[in-house]
Amino acid sequence: MTTHEQIPVTEGLFAETPAGPRLLGSRCATCSTPYFPRSAACHNPVCDESRMEDADFGPRGRLWSCAIQNYPPPLPARYEEPYTPYAVGVVDLDEGLRVVARMSVDDPDSLQLDAEVELTIEPIYQDDEGRDVTTWKFKPLESGGS
Amino acid sequence: MRDVAVLGVGMHPWGKFADRSVTSMCRVATDAALADAGVEWREVEAVAAASSRFSGGKGWGLNGNDVVEEMGSTGIPVYNLSAGCAAGGNAFNIGWTLVASGVHDCVLVVGGEKMPKGFIQTSGLEEDTDPEHLRQLCVGMPGPAFWAALCRRRMQDFGTSEEDLARIAVKAHQIGKHNTNARFRQEFSMEDVLNSNMVSFPLRLYEICPVSDGAAAVVICSADVARKRTSRPVWVASSSVATARFDDGLPRGLGTVVPQAGPTCHSEASLAVGKALESAAVAPTELDLVELQDNTVFYELAFPEDWGLCQPGEAERLVEKGETLPTGKLPINPSGGFLCFGEATTAMGVFQICELTWQLREQAGARQVPGAKIALAQTLGLGGNATAAVLKN
Ligand SMILES: [Zn+2]
Repeated sequence: MTTHEQIPVTEGLFAETPAGPRLLGSRCATCSTPYFPRSAACHNPVCDESRMEDADFGPRGRLWSCAIQNYPPPLPARYEEPYTPYAVGVVDLDEGLRVVARMSVDDPDSLQLDAEVELTIEPIYQDDEGRDVTTWKFKPLESGGS
Repeated sequence: MRDVAVLGVGMHPWGKFADRSVTSMCRVATDAALADAGVEWREVEAVAAASSRFSGGKGWGLNGNDVVEEMGSTGIPVYNLSAGCAAGGNAFNIGWTLVASGVHDCVLVVGGEKMPKGFIQTSGLEEDTDPEHLRQLCVGMPGPAFWAALCRRRMQDFGTSEEDLARIAVKAHQIGKHNTNARFRQEFSMEDVLNSNMVSFPLRLYEICPVSDGAAAVVICSADVARKRTSRPVWVASSSVATARFDDGLPRGLGTVVPQAGPTCHSEASLAVGKALESAAVAPTELDLVELQDNTVFYELAFPEDWGLCQPGEAERLVEKGETLPTGKLPINPSGGFLCFGEATTAMGVFQICELTWQLREQAGARQVPGAKIALAQTLGLGGNATAAVLKN
């Protein structure tokens, strides 16, 4: 299996940590509100004092909903030619954070709502220099998936 | 606050008009509204206009200034309102506020837009600090996929079928074919809708509103002026604006908090409609008709339930029984809605006031809601903007 050099689609949103893939966000130490991406200040209107700390999120969550992107999305979204429809999901992480993500699944029709899902970091397309451009995705767990 | 009346309404037909400027379309709508009101342009004391992102306005959303220059510069104040697709509703709210507060007696509210081709690109920025840009770059989830995800959750919770969705598009065109201002005036069968291209499962092409060019204008005035000019004024019972709540769980950006209580919904729309009904002292069940923003058929199911117009999970059956037709017990979008008009984004809030006024005057012809007395309009825009208004005759 050939491995290409990998680069993230954008910096500072996700990382492979020693514990596995994580989303890079923040949490307010006063009101516990989670933020993704990182936020410099707490936006919770009932919070008394914004005290932001870096926080990692993932890997486990539940698929709140999903959709299939049946047509090639406009820029700045990129994809491999020829275009194959992919699934996008809205995932509720165990930490109380709801995130949007690509879904890592062979057959987008097979996704089941409320399934347990796990964070992965995977390529979405290859750039002009042959590097795999990666983003965060969620993959159904064997037990909870279809 | 003083009573405010809608004295005149006018519209430029919706469609694609390559050879016309947005200002010339606004002029057609404005001339029609002034004629309908029996008001001279010189008598207009202020203009509240929807700022267009896509056309005219000197590239700065100064669309109200374009209209004033076009009609004749009289030195009056101009308010240009920007609120995404809620801009027309915002302009109406500001116009209403100016008259209700006694600042002006006669105000023109106008909105026009010429849209680029294809589905709307939600983000106007190409910056990594813009959440909408990041969302498209990293996830690739354009507007239709967002609506589709909301709709898919409903299918899980209430058993909504693809046929239930298609039926709403069929209903829209069944009414919209009677509206001479509508862009699409043909009937669709269930097969037509179900055979149209899948845009983002579960939503098909005919279940999502396309983009259009269009313009609409309304003349509003104080009660004193209204009583001098007409024997049958249409009254603005209330007008409201709201923005989204922090904790409604709607996945607008990359991440949000999982809502602790209540269902996920457009809190901005629920808040605007709730305020409008409350200040008009109207119960949801008293509404004779509703014009709501149907960017997708999904909203025609979700919104009536969110606002207490019917029970959660009841909307599909109301559509199936024909209760959302003009002759039913909960008429929704008798104009044909944006499914038949297409989305001329910032003009839409003004468009809705035109339709409500025609309905309340019983001038809506074959799409008339019999005996309509109380009507609700609602818009929704990027940035978590929403507006609502209740009109009465
Ligand atoms: Zn906080």
